Amino acid sequence: MNAFRRRAAAEIRTEHPSTTLTPIMRKLVADSAAMLGHGPEDARLRAAAARAHTVDHLEELHREVRANFERRGIGYHVAATPAEAVGIVRRLLGEAKRVAKSKTMVGEEVGLTHALRAAGIDILETDIGEYIVDVEGRGPSHITAPAIHLNRARIRELLARRGASLDDDDPERLSRYVRDIVGEYFQDCDAAITGANLVIASSGRIGIVENEGNVSLGVSHPKLHISITGYEKVIADEAAALAVFEVLAPSATAQPLTSFTHFLADPAPGQQRHVVFVDNGRTRILADSRYRDVLKCIRCGACMNGCPVYRAAGGLSYGSPYMGPIGAVISPLLWRDGRYADLPFASSLCGACTEVCPVGIPLHRMLLDLRADAVQQGRATAVERAEWRAWALAFGGATRARASSALARIVLHGAGRFIRPAGTRDDPRLLPEPRSARDPAHLRPAGPSAVPVVIAERDAGTPPADLVDLFRLRAGDLGVSVVSEAPAGARGIVLEAAAAVASTGSVLLTGDSAARRPLLAAERVIVRVNPETIVHYPSYLLPYLGDGDALLLTGASRTADIEKQIVRGIHGAEDLIVVLAEA
Amino acid sequence: MALVALFDPCYMNALRPDDAGHARRVLEALGDEVRLIDGRCCGQPAFNSGFTSDARTVGRGLLRAAQPHEVIVVASGSCTAMVRHHLPGLFPGTRGDAAAKIGSRFREFGDYVATHPSLAGLPLKLEGVVAYHDACHARRELGVSSYALDLLSRVEGLELRRLAHEEECCGFGGSFSVKLPEVSTAMMSAKLDDVRATGAQVLVSGDLSCLAHLEAGARGLGITLETWTLAELLSRALA
Repeated sequence: MNAFRRRAAAEIRTEHPSTTLTPIMRKLVADSAAMLGHGPEDARLRAAAARAHTVDHLEELHREVRANFERRGIGYHVAATPAEAVGIVRRLLGEAKRVAKSKTMVGEEVGLTHALRAAGIDILETDIGEYIVDVEGRGPSHITAPAIHLNRARIRELLARRGASLDDDDPERLSRYVRDIVGEYFQDCDAAITGANLVIASSGRIGIVENEGNVSLGVSHPKLHISITGYEKVIADEAAALAVFEVLAPSATAQPLTSFTHFLADPAPGQQRHVVFVDNGRTRILADSRYRDVLKCIRCGACMNGCPVYRAAGGLSYGSPYMGPIGAVISPLLWRDGRYADLPFASSLCGACTEVCPVGIPLHRMLLDLRADAVQQGRATAVERAEWRAWALAFGGATRARASSALARIVLHGAGRFIRPAGTRDDPRLLPEPRSARDPAHLRPAGPSAVPVVIAERDAGTPPADLVDLFRLRAGDLGVSVVSEAPAGARGIVLEAAAAVASTGSVLLTGDSAARRPLLAAERVIVRVNPETIVHYPSYLLPYLGDGDALLLTGASRTADIEKQIVRGIHGAEDLIVVLAEA
Repeated sequence: MALVALFDPCYMNALRPDDAGHARRVLEALGDEVRLIDGRCCGQPAFNSGFTSDARTVGRGLLRAAQPHEVIVVASGSCTAMVRHHLPGLFPGTRGDAAAKIGSRFREFGDYVATHPSLAGLPLKLEGVVAYHDACHARRELGVSSYALDLLSRVEGLELRRLAHEEECCGFGGSFSVKLPEVSTAMMSAKLDDVRATGAQVLVSGDLSCLAHLEAGARGLGITLETWTLAELLSRALA
């Protein structure tokens, strides 16, 4: 019951996680709130409702997914346990020997990389952060920013271990170094394993968000694409999916949307696609009314970004693939053997997690219930049980309680008051008159305040009402050039957008325009947008999504895996140009 | 002139026995007639540690003592939140409903005073500089932070300095600070850095639990810091 304490104390002593994490997370929480402010006011409520619908209709939605996967030729698999999940993936991989893996928390949960390597399969972690923590060998410390515990100097050292000779530790240089390794691997690999953020029941499309383009490569290059995800990740329809996407990236990384938001439909000719849904105790959680709402989670990580315990102890202290408040709730629920029974106690119950959760999960209340469960399961020590019994006895009656308080005063202050006479306790005159001995000098300040004055956000003013102007502003924020005529003689690929989103500066590509291979190969991407098709918020894209493959592009491919510093142009062009032109 | 009960929480009675006297002075200055409930505990320490049945035993005693009163004022956001939001859930069925009914009559001190009809006539004056610590339960479970700030802004001559990252926990968390002292201390140090940056040497909060934690930490780090509850500050401002 004190594994967290042991790990946290060691982390604090040797690594001092707070030095790296606190400034990053403070900024992230503020930026996330500002980014959510760019979206519709009811975004969190709609996202919460969309996820609540899933929790209430899980089996029904799975039947729908299964039927739609059949229509599209996508394989549908359910694994009850981590071992079963690994077994299914191994069987699907068949003869595949070189596998490109992108980020999947469920993959971490079932120990996928480790198990497949043990079976002699060559796996490359293709997400830059995951690649780095794979070299380090201690696992991810955050669900959306796996290498957040490492600073640039440390990352350079780690890469040097793999033979990299890097002139300096500039995040751009480090990121591009890993990018090149990943890009080369994709030239010759047999299969890709990705996660999935959601699976849409009404259409059988798979929703995946990513920034770097490694998922884009994975779903388009190898002949086999296996997606592994949680059994609860199904969602009713496109409207519900868009509601989730409206809050996911703002809450996770303070982005309007990730660079790539994929809606994957039928596999390309000659390609195979499978989805493995992992239960691992989720249906059991569903049956417990106290905890079922935790299945609404969209794995954004906002709760850990806002958590002071996470910032002080770091993600590795949790010893679980899931860290922070969400990890403290779901780890003991997924693994019932008691190995994470102490995690619900790793919280001061300040409620910051519940406050930031975009889908309204009452995380800190669940922690309280889990603590009660741990005690009921007999996980508290005999000494602690005896202490609380003695305490209940002491405070169960007023006289005994007064005696205990007096005793505490004596213990705490070395000399205490004697017990006040009992019997007339509701007479306030028996209260001692306040001491006067306060040092009035202390009311004088030691000096002027050095608290930094908060400077209002640059664009705190009213955003433009005109959708075209708003689109220009938000796309510009992302480094996208918005022009009215294609630059003369510009090389690159020219694509027609089906629609665009003003609040996020995104362009929607459908059908052939959504083909990832040419998009990623182009040195510059020019997207033609008809101003008539610019909608205000992502959820208004519904009529433009079609039924096939779709890709929502929001700025150029990028990463922020090293110290949250943004590096543009990872897999895919750094230059994204939008040409506003009537059709 | 209203008849109110003042609940003096167990830990305050132990740590700062004067504090209920300060709260009483303020309530009486507002014209209220005050009855005392002491020698009771809301059950939170056990509840937060997972010992729900011990919490229920202790909490039941408080609810019984509170039953005859229309309004019970508590100079602690944390205890108020426990009684209002968590304690009723420990009792099944109709007993839970009855507990919720009594629980709903508990009012956090700052909330009660700031919305008191006689507040405008209260002469509050104190020369000096204080910083304000926003306790998590007052802020998030009760949503009463603005009342404390409003009251402090009414004190003539008082300069109120706000902390950077006011929304961050001080690291106390009851048994949390005992079970995970290393993490708790790391959080406390971050908060003390923010307190020190204000330049103020007196820290005010509606919750003594946070203050006692921070004061002990400041002493350990050699930082000059007095901690006053909101009740103490208002009571001294009356003088």
